Amino acid sequence: MKRVVIDESFLGELELLGAVLKNNVAGMFGGNCRTKNLGSSCEFADYRDYMPGDDVTKIDWNAYARFDKLYEKLYFDERQMHTRIYIDTSRSMDYGTDEKAVAAVKIAAAFAYLSVSAMDKVSIYAIRGGSLEEIVVGMVGKDSYLGCIGKLNELEFDSDSRISEAIIPSSVGRGDGYSIIISDFLTDDNYEGAIDRLAEQRRDILCVQVLAREELNPQIRGKMHLFDSESPSKFFRKKIDKDIIDAYKAALKYVTDRIRNYCESRGGHYVLMPAYMEMSELFFDKFVNMGVLK
Amino acid sequence: MTFLYPLGLLGLIGVPIVIIIYILRSKFNELTVTSTYIWTLSEKFFKRRNPLSGITGLISLILQILTIILVSLAIARPIFTIPNSASEYCFVLDASGSMNYKDGGKTRFDEAKAYVKKTINDARLGSSFTLVTVDGEANVVYERLTEKKLATDMLAELECSDGTANMSAALSSAQKYFDANPSTLVYFVTDKDYEDHKNVRIVNLGLQSAENYAINDVFGALTGGKIEVEANVISYTSDAELTVELYLNGAKKPDTTKVVSVKAGEKTAVTLSAPAGSYDEFRVVIKNKDALMADNEFISYNKKSGDAFSILVVSETPFFFEAALDVLTDSVVDTVTPDEYTAQTGYGLYIFHSYTPDVLPDAAVWLVNSHKSVDDSGFGIRGSIELDEPAAIEKSASTSTQARKLLEGVDGRNIFISEYTKYSGLYTKFTTLFSYASNPLIMAGVNAHGNREVVFAFDLHTSDLALSSDFAPLMSNLLAYSCPDVVDRTDYYCGEEVNVNVTANMSSVKAIAPDGEETYLDTSTDIASFRLDKVGTYTIEILSGTEKKAYLIYSGAPEEESSPSSTEASFSLTGEQKFERTDGEYDPLVLLFILLAVVFAADWMVFCYEKYQLR
Repeated sequence: MKRVVIDESFLGELELLGAVLKNNVAGMFGGNCRTKNLGSSCEFADYRDYMPGDDVTKIDWNAYARFDKLYEKLYFDERQMHTRIYIDTSRSMDYGTDEKAVAAVKIAAAFAYLSVSAMDKVSIYAIRGGSLEEIVVGMVGKDSYLGCIGKLNELEFDSDSRISEAIIPSSVGRGDGYSIIISDFLTDDNYEGAIDRLAEQRRDILCVQVLAREELNPQIRGKMHLFDSESPSKFFRKKIDKDIIDAYKAALKYVTDRIRNYCESRGGHYVLMPAYMEMSELFFDKFVNMGVLK
Repeated sequence: MTFLYPLGLLGLIGVPIVIIIYILRSKFNELTVTSTYIWTLSEKFFKRRNPLSGITGLISLILQILTIILVSLAIARPIFTIPNSASEYCFVLDASGSMNYKDGGKTRFDEAKAYVKKTINDARLGSSFTLVTVDGEANVVYERLTEKKLATDMLAELECSDGTANMSAALSSAQKYFDANPSTLVYFVTDKDYEDHKNVRIVNLGLQSAENYAINDVFGALTGGKIEVEANVISYTSDAELTVELYLNGAKKPDTTKVVSVKAGEKTAVTLSAPAGSYDEFRVVIKNKDALMADNEFISYNKKSGDAFSILVVSETPFFFEAALDVLTDSVVDTVTPDEYTAQTGYGLYIFHSYTPDVLPDAAVWLVNSHKSVDDSGFGIRGSIELDEPAAIEKSASTSTQARKLLEGVDGRNIFISEYTKYSGLYTKFTTLFSYASNPLIMAGVNAHGNREVVFAFDLHTSDLALSSDFAPLMSNLLAYSCPDVVDRTDYYCGEEVNVNVTANMSSVKAIAPDGEETYLDTSTDIASFRLDKVGTYTIEILSGTEKKAYLIYSGAPEEESSPSSTEASFSLTGEQKFERTDGEYDPLVLLFILLAVVFAADWMVFCYEKYQLR
């Protein structure tokens, strides 16, 4: 089902978001950012002993005069990053009011915008079943962004999703930026495997869990027979009362804590985003406070 | 426990119906959610903290069942028997004029009713109540009534009279109920105190401090072109300056005003005069405000203004009648000869002297020395008897009320006649006043037309009756009989009985009280009576054919009811008070309604809780 999420007003919001974040965020995203590797930028990093074959232009002759020994000057590497965004397109993201799907698309578009604004490369994938569907690949620059980002409006949330099967090492890149997974994570699927793989590939990991209002604070009461939107064979049949709701909230806390802990244990970040939350609130209150954006 | 309306328990059928409905509609609602993952996971975190929480789902059902049960019970009205808790009450309520005292906005009678009402409401259900009001007589409003609401409703409708209280009637009435059940709790609610009140609970509502003035002993007379009114005024509680006013003939402004200084408790005479050639009424008023206004005014009506009637004498020689009527009555007297008589109408009394009309007029009639029979007169002519020498006639020895009244002041001795007429077929209702040799000579009665009729069987010219001292009183009595005053006087006091003289031509007599209440009097007897129980002007409305006449009389406040408080000697019942009680009852209707309201409210809250997810 086509939804118009990316429109002029939203892009206007992104411009504003980008302008504000530019002053606060010291280039977390961006091709002109230093990496964890040493390279050929102008920014001094360290010394090491000269070894035959090294670039003689990087010998520090002042040090040689002082210590009578050759030292090679090392510089931080500076290269273009590649932000990869994975959107869960399962039916659960779109069931009922489509606020979760809308929120997911908006988050993806916002991260993509911030990345291209910093001259980074951006790829957006839809997780469909156990595979990835490329929505946008290798998008660089705002012109390209404006040309491609509208494809997110075409995104259909009508499949199931197996994150751990879809995100495989061959598709995640290595050590060149953020991997952002946007999902409701309402699955018993082994998504930890995907996180592990991203961590192994030295990706910076960000898991955004989008949950609807009814999922965060269910209002249904009484004798209910609940069917799963993704799998009708799954159901929950019980008289829902205060005790059940308390148990639900405890289970929800368990699930969110588990994802958070797993992400953080792998050096990643986790954000729980209520689908009704404003983008500005998400970026300023959540990502900045968490250090995702600096 | 018994049920007042056992059929109300049929409502309990609703209980199984509600249960069946609950079971039928108690199904799971199906709903598709984004994911059942967390719901399923929640089972691992499920904890039942409240052991009663398992029945929380049944609260609504329980409340609905309770509602049905309570409604059914409320309709069925369960009554619980409580042994030896109910009593028999007898309230004697003073409804005399003094109970109209207003102490602080409410009359004493209102306070008395409030006291009785409270006592009834406080009494245990199952108690019985007897209520007797006392004014001129004791009136049993209800006896041994067990229904409180009916008892208080009937109590609320009671009104106080303005008359005096007949304490002996009250006492005997209370004694009757006490004798029937010595455990009866007798209450006498009055404004008087009693030094002795054995077996009676006196509830005294009288206040010594209540201010009251009264006017009594009013008398007025026309003398020398003016009216002079004498009266006594009194202030019961304190010395006072009383403003007394005299109003003539319904004037709006007083004709005379006088300020009188009176000492507390002492009657002070006051005389007011105003120019007047005649009057229809005068009113004397104390202008000062007090607790009982009814005794601050007295009105006197001139009786003559309403009682005038005219007389027609048909005679060749009317001398004796004209002379007597001139002296004895102020009425208009017309005299015609038999030749001039053309059955004139409009007269209250027709006197036919030595002449007999062909048809009797429809009014009172005297037939004197009639020699010709006339229809409906009640007698026939047998013939004239001429005596050899004058003979004395005999006065009737009858002790009947009528005979005594008609012969009042008449000696009856030494009246001689020289001739008379024998009559036959005398109407049985005639009362013989005088006779000769068993032949009635003067008779009074009612003819076939229902009109009063006096018959003389001799001519006054052949008798020495007209010259005797008995003539005037006899004529006066016969005039009073033939054309009686409607009422003997116009000044009464509340509680007195008024006698209305009924004549045959009166088709209806109606007494209209000051408050507009109308009472039709019995006109089948010569005297119709009614009792005055209100202070103010009564109108006696008489319909004679198509002619309507109204007579005004005034019912004044009785003097003995004017005092703000008084102490009487005794109001005691003979016998020994017992304290045996009967089985009382407890009606939990109010409790049921309260419970019902609580259950309704709880059910509503549960409904809102479930409907709107209040939490």
